[in-house]
Amino acid sequence: MSNQVLSCENVTASYGAIQALHGVNLEVNEGEIVVVLGANGAGKTTTLRAICNMVATEGTVMLNGRDISKADTADIVNAGVAHVPQGRGTFAALTVLENLEVGAYTRTDDEVQSDIEMWFEKYPVLGERRTQAAGSLSGGEQQMLAVARAAMSRPTMMLLDEPSLGLAPLIIEDLFQTFAQLNKEQGTSMLLVEQNANLALEIADRGYLLETGEITGSGSAEELRNDPAVQAAYLGA
Amino acid sequence: MTLLIQRLLDGLFNGSIYAALAVAIAISHRATGRVNLAQGEIGLFGGYLALAMASPAASFVAGAALFSNLPGHPFHLWISTLLAVIVAAVLAVALQRALMRDFDESTPQRALNRSIALLICVSAVISSQWGTRGRIFGELFPSGSNDFVSVFGARLRYTTIGAWVVVIIACGLVTLFLSKTKAGLSFRALTDNRASSVLVGIQPKKLMAIGWGISGALAALAASLAASMSLLDSSLMFRTLIYSLAAVTLGGFDSLRGAVIGGIIVAQAQTLIPGYLGLPTEMSIVAALIVLITVLVFRPWGLFGQRPVERV
Repeated sequence: MSNQVLSCENVTASYGAIQALHGVNLEVNEGEIVVVLGANGAGKTTTLRAICNMVATEGTVMLNGRDISKADTADIVNAGVAHVPQGRGTFAALTVLENLEVGAYTRTDDEVQSDIEMWFEKYPVLGERRTQAAGSLSGGEQQMLAVARAAMSRPTMMLLDEPSLGLAPLIIEDLFQTFAQLNKEQGTSMLLVEQNANLALEIADRGYLLETGEITGSGSAEELRNDPAVQAAYLGA
Repeated sequence: MTLLIQRLLDGLFNGSIYAALAVAIAISHRATGRVNLAQGEIGLFGGYLALAMASPAASFVAGAALFSNLPGHPFHLWISTLLAVIVAAVLAVALQRALMRDFDESTPQRALNRSIALLICVSAVISSQWGTRGRIFGELFPSGSNDFVSVFGARLRYTTIGAWVVVIIACGLVTLFLSKTKAGLSFRALTDNRASSVLVGIQPKKLMAIGWGISGALAALAASLAASMSLLDSSLMFRTLIYSLAAVTLGGFDSLRGAVIGGIIVAQAQTLIPGYLGLPTEMSIVAALIVLITVLVFRPWGLFGQRPVERV
């Protein structure tokens, strides 16, 4: 467990009087892609928000051996976490280029420009629209931008909140290839929250099942794919 | 025709003042998501500081006589105005850090209550320190009876030209900050999407203080310009605040360009409506409020603001 990047121990979270998480335990090791599967309202988004301390939380969240349970969201981002929220969360009034520049807000090195060019090569459509407002992009392009912007901070840990939501199948596949590529080339660990279990399990190493705020199962991607209960609930088999 | 041009030109001077305070309100609104009603009073405090530094009473400041234009006056009025603008910015940052740290997280009502309380407190400090009677501020621009250029037979006074030059330079600096610096970029990101800006590591508290600082400087500039045209008195910026709120409502709370154009329109409404309807000048504030209410009814996000879009 020495190369553990992220761990949640007994994390609870609540919105006012409503408790959304009842003691979640999970971990992500270096270089892993871990998927959290769960239905609507199971607490997937809340789990990611709890890690970034964006919701009232108890329990312990560790990042690279440091307790970040009580840290500010901005500090947690500084410590190497990038969170791609549901609904993309791009800056609609800023240009595509400015979105990427602000994504590198925490960086002080001089490779920001070359990273931006790298993303424009990967997604030429973003390069063509570099001076356009992000709000004018299509849903798929905005999701590409959201992922690129998150990657601009050169995170060690990426949190991805239902990136496939509302996108066309071809775009989703392209996006998931990008995740796999980022993971392989830059060693970025990822915690991926998804309803699209098929694709998620294809790129994931391991997974957890989340039901009504509790982890009810876990296993390797292979095990989960072959689990009859998972197949019935998430894979539509 | 000449009368119309003259009225338009007369309105332009007030327009520069309203524009400056409206931009101040818009900037702090962009930073905090809340309107700071104490904006005008913070500026007025700056105006009084400028006068105090330029008055003989302050001549103990060692060596300052070098910068003076009048015997016994320690600072030239321009230098003391610039110093006061800086002090007002620092004061605004300090007030923000001390009293308004959670300004944007608190509910709109609580934030509003606090800014009203701050308005009353700053106003009380000003009245107790400097009294309520009007004081001669002095001329920032030549304002004699022959200091004008003729435009189609109407008089465009040097003070109006000078005030606009100052306001345009100030707004230009703010625009440069927003468009060319990393802090400016993060400032725009914060305005655009507060939740996402935290997720790229931006610290809103720092930017909120910067926003207040810029606003404090602009408000002090507005107060000094307004005082140089009439008198410096304790209710000067309260009146201006009403007009500027109308201007910023008209232009849209997040748009600097809108705030400037809103300032011009409100100032023109203030001179033209009573002028042509034969209303007493006391009614001119009603003209501003008519503009404000009309906008709120028909286009609540303003002429240049972003229409709020709710995704469902």
